[in-house]
Amino acid sequence: MKRFIANLILFLLLAAPLSFAGEQPLLRMATTTSTENSGLFTVIQPAFEKALDIKVHVIAVGTGKALELGRRGDVDVVLVHAKPAEEAFVAAGHGIARHEIMYNDFIIVGPADDPAGISGMQDAASAYARIAASATTVVSRGDDSGTHKKELALWRQAGIEPDGPWYRQVGQGMGKTLQIAGEMNACTLVDRGTWLAYRANNPLKLLVAGGADLKNTYGIIAVNPQRYPDVDYASVQRLIDWFTSPEARALIAGYRVAGEQLFYPVEN
Amino acid sequence: MSAIIHYSAMRKTVHQQLLLDIDTLEIHERACVALSGRNGAGKSTLMRIIAGLEVPDSVTVTFDGQTMPWQRAVQRMRTHVIYLHQNPYLFDRSVTDNIAYGLRHQKLAMKEISSKVAEALDWAGISHLQMRNARELSGGERQQVAFARARILRPRVLLLDEPMTNMDSEAREQTCRMIKRLKDDGVSILLATHEFHTVAHLCDAHLSLESGSLQPQSLESAGGERKIIPYG
Amino acid sequence: MDSLSAATAESFRLLFSGDAALWIIIFTSFSVSLRAILIAAPFAFVTAFFMAHLRYPGRRAMIAGFSALQSIPAVVVGLTVYLVLSRSGPLGDLQLLFTHSSMIIGQILLSFPLLVALSHAAFQAADRRVWETSITLGAKPYRAFLTLIHEIRFGLIAAFIAGFGRIIAEVGCSMMVGGNILGYTRNIPTAIALETTKGEFAQAIALGMVLLSMALLLNGMLSFFQGRGEMTA
Repeated sequence: MKRFIANLILFLLLAAPLSFAGEQPLLRMATTTSTENSGLFTVIQPAFEKALDIKVHVIAVGTGKALELGRRGDVDVVLVHAKPAEEAFVAAGHGIARHEIMYNDFIIVGPADDPAGISGMQDAASAYARIAASATTVVSRGDDSGTHKKELALWRQAGIEPDGPWYRQVGQGMGKTLQIAGEMNACTLVDRGTWLAYRANNPLKLLVAGGADLKNTYGIIAVNPQRYPDVDYASVQRLIDWFTSPEARALIAGYRVAGEQLFYPVEN
Repeated sequence: MSAIIHYSAMRKTVHQQLLLDIDTLEIHERACVALSGRNGAGKSTLMRIIAGLEVPDSVTVTFDGQTMPWQRAVQRMRTHVIYLHQNPYLFDRSVTDNIAYGLRHQKLAMKEISSKVAEALDWAGISHLQMRNARELSGGERQQVAFARARILRPRVLLLDEPMTNMDSEAREQTCRMIKRLKDDGVSILLATHEFHTVAHLCDAHLSLESGSLQPQSLESAGGERKIIPYG
Repeated sequence: MDSLSAATAESFRLLFSGDAALWIIIFTSFSVSLRAILIAAPFAFVTAFFMAHLRYPGRRAMIAGFSALQSIPAVVVGLTVYLVLSRSGPLGDLQLLFTHSSMIIGQILLSFPLLVALSHAAFQAADRRVWETSITLGAKPYRAFLTLIHEIRFGLIAAFIAGFGRIIAEVGCSMMVGGNILGYTRNIPTAIALETTKGEFAQAIALGMVLLSMALLLNGMLSFFQGRGEMTA
């Protein structure tokens, strides 16, 4: 109770200054909901804010929206995991350059009784072919997110256009999509981080993992200061450099969810 | 005696019909004039125009000997000419606050306001009600407050819109008493009524509003001399 | 059911142990919404007053317009404000997006039609004699306006509460123009939306309880003031 009152008073005192960031440069970063939900930022954000003496406001939305924010100049830097979209973003001049900083992987989860017969497979495209053949229910993000784009790429690789009552697009974030898939006893593509966080409460099982086509790389891109002169490009550069520093690599590699490593820093 | 306000060529159209078409109207010092007419004749409208609450289509106004445009006349006449509704509206405050309302914008000291209010309460005989919320009062008490609230501003003209209508005889007695006291203070009164006989004994003159124009009337309800006798 | 009761128990613990993260969210909600309603209300009351007391061309259309705008969805307001405040938008140079200011602007726009519609009803219902009595006793129009406000205060308070109720619980606008930034623009509704997608039900329930208590309190006050308003009419 004492702590409650103390905190309350503290917040009231800090009320006004809360809106004014002070002397530090303020950067706005758009990233994806799954990245923020993984909890990685709780570890790296305090580190880079301290190391670089900057304040960063993180806005977590779907990949499509994150890139759109970058296109519109509403953020200074973008961190997403959709390589083709990122490359198009840079090619169109919205961003300066794409720096690959880490990767994790996607997995396919599904009903424990494995109606599609894909358990233990590594190649995702082939797994999708079997899923389509058996018309096993699939729940898709359907929201233009990195995960969704990955899923569509895998379907394309399998040469299948997913269509039919077994294919459900929910237009939701990863956690919600996973919950829905659990409720519907369906297969879904999920990033390992979200899976590790949710699997305790979910009846689905990991069925397909490890294939090269399931690798999920994260890229960080500075928004083009020529398009939007307000962008604090110098600070963004320093932030991008930090992400390839040994300190960052150690933090990223050392981050654990449910006891397992989630992200792998890119060796450059 | 002098005319405080002189109106000429007052016209007012309501709902595309000519309601008022008055050649001359004079309001004299220290006169108590009854304004009679059937319901809907335009008595209230006329009084409200005099009070500055409604705008006539056209009129020429002379106030204290000075002719001036309508808007300026209205501003000059504020608090010199006060209008009381048939059922006066009392603010949702104490009786004291109601009575003091008009004084507040006069930049008087608190003490002065207090003493004036005390005097007004005393005048109306409602000192015992000073802290009560005005909404809680009876009909008769409310009228006492309304009168006191107006009198405290020392108006020269009071426009009373049907002050006795829908009152029991006791309340009527009380109203008459207050009107008499106002006359003693030298306030000029214009009293609208559709029951002239109830106010005949109070008035020095009688005007009837018929078909848009004012006709002087006798003070006797049954014939008698046709005379207008302002007192004082 | 087991996880629900466990989450609920955890949520009580979070609330009353003064969990910093939680209370920043609650504080943000109140700070933003109070500022928005305190700015919107006076303008709404004045607008409603003129709508009730003046005759001007287009008045009826305006009344109907505000009535219709009451039910505009929060996301639509959020999207509109976002497009205007975006750096690519017409007011991008102001750099207001993803700040408290943009949230306040959005919530002002959200609450304004409701405030106008309800306070207009209060002004319409007001006794004409109030204004006339004030004026004839010598009050200038500004003072007569304040007196009128006092006389119909319960109706206006009810409008205020209804407006506040709408914006304290909205998520569509806050999410779009605030960005749900941790420790800054994350308010109760956006936090609930986020925590539920993450499956962090304890936090979501804790915040939901705050919102629910607030809704119950506001509704209670609303009934009270509307009742008082009717009694003194």
